[in-house]
Amino acid sequence: MTRTFPKLLFWGMHAWVFAYIGVLLGAFTIQFAQGEFPCPLCMLQRYGMILSTLGALWVIMQARRGELTPARYAQGLGLGVLGAAAGALVSVRQILLHIKPGDPGYGSPVMGYHLYTWALITFYVVILFVAAVSILAPVGIPEAPEGKAALTVSSVVVWLFVILVAANVIAIIFLEGFALVLPDDPDSYNLITQLTGG
Amino acid sequence: MDIIILALLLLTAVLVVRGAARKWILTTWFITLVLMLALFRYHVTSQLDLSF
Repeated sequence: MTRTFPKLLFWGMHAWVFAYIGVLLGAFTIQFAQGEFPCPLCMLQRYGMILSTLGALWVIMQARRGELTPARYAQGLGLGVLGAAAGALVSVRQILLHIKPGDPGYGSPVMGYHLYTWALITFYVVILFVAAVSILAPVGIPEAPEGKAALTVSSVVVWLFVILVAANVIAIIFLEGFALVLPDDPDSYNLITQLTGG
Repeated sequence: MDIIILALLLLTAVLVVRGAARKWILTTWFITLVLMLALFRYHVTSQLDLSF
């Protein structure tokens, strides 16, 4: 148990990153395949997810370099929880904006819930996960497994996340254009509209 | 503002992956968090109508 637990934790951190890769890809699918434009609060929740995931990424990278100490592990988990708490703040606000009976909500529901409700659920899952691994910290902290295959899998997850953040940068440039902030209810890609004068 | 926040998030991710000094990672992470909360504050323009 004490030998395998640190490696399990290492992959648990990857599961955290991979789960948010899935969520962010899902948001992209709805944005580009279904043509729904993300509202400012939707984007803020994505930032919360990315901020939170950076905590897991910090732990993974330090574990891979053999530099992870209990103090650095706690720092990474703290970043993760703080990011999730910031994102949850936005989710709660958006849920409360649409909570009244008869309000259709913003965007299309996915499996019965709107995206901001799903976002809040993911933030709570992160907070519960961090609570669990913090309680279990005396048993062990993440440790990178040896072997090229494991490190390759780890690198794929890490770089997928970085590429997805880069894709979000490109998408927001098109969405926001030369404006300082996003409009409350975006209905086009501002940059294209501004450049074509449409 | 959103472009700046996402660019900072990308910068922080790259710093983490490249193993940059922790003080830079923490600085960019916290600046991004503050900007995110400031933008959230900017978008909160009305009180919630919760009278049912």
